[in-house]
Amino acid sequence: MTAAARIIINEIKGYHNFLKLMIALVGLGVLASAVRFVLGLGVTTNLNDVYPWGLWISFDVVTAVPLAAGAFTLGAIVHCFHIKKLEPLVRPAIVTGFLGYSLVSVGLLLDLGQPQRAWHTMVYWNVHSPMFEVSMCIMAYTTVLFLEFLSPVCEKFGYHLPLRVLRWLEMPLVIGAASISTLHQSSLGTFFLIAVDKLHALWYNPLLPLLFWMSAIFTGISIIILEATMVHRFMGQPDESELLEVLTKILPWVLGVYLVVKLAATTLLSHGPLFDRPSLLALFLAEIIIGVIAPMFMFMKREYREDQRMQLRGATLVIAGLVLNRFNVSMFGMEQPDQLIYYPSIIESLVTIGIIAAHILFFVLVAKYFPIFEHHPETVDYSIPDHARRIEPDGGSHGKKSETVA
Amino acid sequence: MSSSTANFDKTKAFLIDTTKCTGCRGCQVACKQWNQLKAEDTKFFSGEGYQNPPLMSEYTFTRVKFKDYQKNGQNEFAFYKEMCMHCNEPACASVCPVGAFKKTAEGPVIYDAKRCIGCRFCMIACPFGVPKYEWSKAFPLVRKCTGCYSRVKEGLQPACATACPTAISYGSRAEMLKEAGKRLKNRPERYYNAIYGKDEAGGTSILYLTQQPLDELGFKPVTKRSLPSYTWQALRLVPGIFLTVGGGLSLVSWFNHRKERIKREQDQLNGAAAPENKEVDR
Ligand code: SF4
Ligand code: SF4
Ligand code: SF4
Repeated sequence: MTAAARIIINEIKGYHNFLKLMIALVGLGVLASAVRFVLGLGVTTNLNDVYPWGLWISFDVVTAVPLAAGAFTLGAIVHCFHIKKLEPLVRPAIVTGFLGYSLVSVGLLLDLGQPQRAWHTMVYWNVHSPMFEVSMCIMAYTTVLFLEFLSPVCEKFGYHLPLRVLRWLEMPLVIGAASISTLHQSSLGTFFLIAVDKLHALWYNPLLPLLFWMSAIFTGISIIILEATMVHRFMGQPDESELLEVLTKILPWVLGVYLVVKLAATTLLSHGPLFDRPSLLALFLAEIIIGVIAPMFMFMKREYREDQRMQLRGATLVIAGLVLNRFNVSMFGMEQPDQLIYYPSIIESLVTIGIIAAHILFFVLVAKYFPIFEHHPETVDYSIPDHARRIEPDGGSHGKKSETVA
Repeated sequence: MSSSTANFDKTKAFLIDTTKCTGCRGCQVACKQWNQLKAEDTKFFSGEGYQNPPLMSEYTFTRVKFKDYQKNGQNEFAFYKEMCMHCNEPACASVCPVGAFKKTAEGPVIYDAKRCIGCRFCMIACPFGVPKYEWSKAFPLVRKCTGCYSRVKEGLQPACATACPTAISYGSRAEMLKEAGKRLKNRPERYYNAIYGKDEAGGTSILYLTQQPLDELGFKPVTKRSLPSYTWQALRLVPGIFLTVGGGLSLVSWFNHRKERIKREQDQLNGAAAPENKEVDR
């Protein structure tokens, strides 16, 4: 026991200072959540009857879910449309997705007033509630991502039998992931359709669910670009910018369609005055220009698509725009003109920072101890087998040399 | 949700005639007594007007709002009782993931505290800002006017309606609408020509008559359509979208994978050197 603890402590001592900082932030976050449970929501947050939803819903749920959309987007692109050269990016995306969704669940639990009753959603169904739909999907999808994540785990420990099953399940899982994601990504937009007289007309329109879904797709793609570039820079992984170029070719199309739908919906389908609140108008323009128009034009240029630095910048713009969009819909746009402004309390902020730090930390740790980058697609037969027997029996072979660099 | 064709004529409704309200706050007190609600610390001149407490809260399910306005250069007063509107098709009930809110056949919209998981979606959804939260507690629940369901069920009137000396009538929604229409017709100079709650949010169980234009009194302008229909028009597509996306992707992948297998088999037939199972895909 103590020996094991000593090994763990020694291991941690060897970590980079950045990781130690992340561990400290996670610790702070855990402490803050403990305080929240002991003292209650009312004392520890700035929420009140006028702002029943704050930072935790706006960031930890509504923003984090599209940020974790890389797994389903890439899974569909690689496996369904069969663009196989992108295969090396799939596993990191799955790990990110799995971590993202697990942490979304943590965020949701913290925000619930009665977290011990979270299981009620599985027993008392209300199919008319978008919240019911989203919670079911998040549970289902976290399970799917967990199964997908099991592959590297089984490889690491050389479990052959489950690997066979997982390989066989791969296509159904990818397709399931894409369909479930389509549902809950769009239903996050449906949440706000009920706020008819509350959400400002710049964001309120009946196409909100469609817009949420489309923005999840381009965000998923951008997150993969960001992640691959970061991993190349800071974790010594190979430069994938040639692969990423394929993704940057898809991006302007998705962004363009989104822009058209968004502008059409805002001008034709919204129900109230659009230009009555200058600050909201500024936020709206910022979201569109920074997050959609600028990266769209960037990625239309070939030399930008091929340049690794520009790839990173474009992707960052898209992500920033998405974050702003989700806050606009769930927070800024919901504020009524004569109300006091909501801002998150220290406890709320610490928890959210802790959750972000946890994501980075766990990703680095998983990458350190499991074969998520050393996945060699060439050695794997991904076509749908005619018989179960044709599944490759030696799926675990490359798991053995999984001494990782990090 | 109950379809918009459902008939709410037989449900019970309040008719609150604000021109007859004296501002005595008997309803406010009766509500506190019947529901055993704690008193709140109040300060004079703490809210927008003279009312106390400044807002509805976990301890205050109803409250009389005071509004002063000018008429012919004279300062005038108006009062109205603020409470849950007991919507015909309640937004709170439609968004609650665990179905903790329910529209009863008698009319009141009631809340099952044992189901609630505390997500506060009902508070976001309610167009009238009614559900309040127990911010004082570590494991809080939602609180709002119950429509005195426990009394109505037994054939009694709600506590506040019983206590009110002048302004509140209680009966079937059809009767109350008829009565309101009659008053508007008989005394057009006394009333602003509208029944608030007749169509608001698809119709509610609380109907107001006023003297002042509604917005001047602080009544929120609310859509006439039932709120659940706004989300349902998207949610009802869910099964179809699930099947379309799933089926579409299955087809696309089946097609792409088949193409590849055929190509590989062809390569083999042509006597290509590569052994079948270790072929390198590019
Ligand atoms: S007024 Fe609000 S809380 Fe009351 S029934 Fe309607 S939606 Fe529900
Ligand atoms: S807070 Fe409770 S009653 Fe309100 S929507 Fe959530 S679970 Fe339902
Ligand atoms: S109906 Fe009952 S709970 Fe509602 S305001 Fe009147 S007394 Fe209070």
